[in-house]
Amino acid sequence: MMRALAIGGFLTALLLFAAVEWFARREGSRIPALGDLCAYVMRYEVGSVPVGRIGLFGFWWWLGWHLLAR
Amino acid sequence: MEHPRELTVEAPRSWDRPVVSVPVLICLSLVGGQLPSFSAQANLYTLGTGGALIWLGLGNRVPRRPAPGRLRPGAVWWLLPVTVFGVFEGVTFVLSVGDEFPTFSRLADPLLEDDLVRSTAWFAWLAAFWGLVRR
Repeated sequence: MMRALAIGGFLTALLLFAAVEWFARREGSRIPALGDLCAYVMRYEVGSVPVGRIGLFGFWWWLGWHLLAR
Repeated sequence: MEHPRELTVEAPRSWDRPVVSVPVLICLSLVGGQLPSFSAQANLYTLGTGGALIWLGLGNRVPRRPAPGRLRPGAVWWLLPVTVFGVFEGVTFVLSVGDEFPTFSRLADPLLEDDLVRSTAWFAWLAAFWGLVRR
């Protein structure tokens, strides 16, 4: 029962990611695509340090290591 | 006469095209898909490929697509899937009751044992990483 709840919850989240991306790619959408959102986050800098870029790269690196190497 | 940088257009590099990058990513993914979880090779390969992409992404070695100047107001909709995922990941992680109420990675582990699924996941990870490097 609890396992089905977890599977359903994660599937719902993945479907929501796909749905929001689909709406974002429609003509005249007010929602930015995920790539644009990431690009905006990666613009964030503190002084000359690209904090947003380092943070997003670090998160994606960790995610790949966590799922594919562990 | 020197032109301002924003008025110049860089000539596309011969290797910087999907016809080159996609086969390279496929080859890297096929290799990654053969490496078993928890092995030293898988750890080194993940750290090596990720490190190389970060090295490319933090320098000015790869041309980047322009970032949007402002975020569109509907960006808040992204909080919906992020929140649903975050709540389930957080609760399953904190309760930590294993397969009874598994985290996302625990659910993904059996799927990733198949070579084809593992290579596909590698390709998705590398392609998204390459996309980030280009932004």
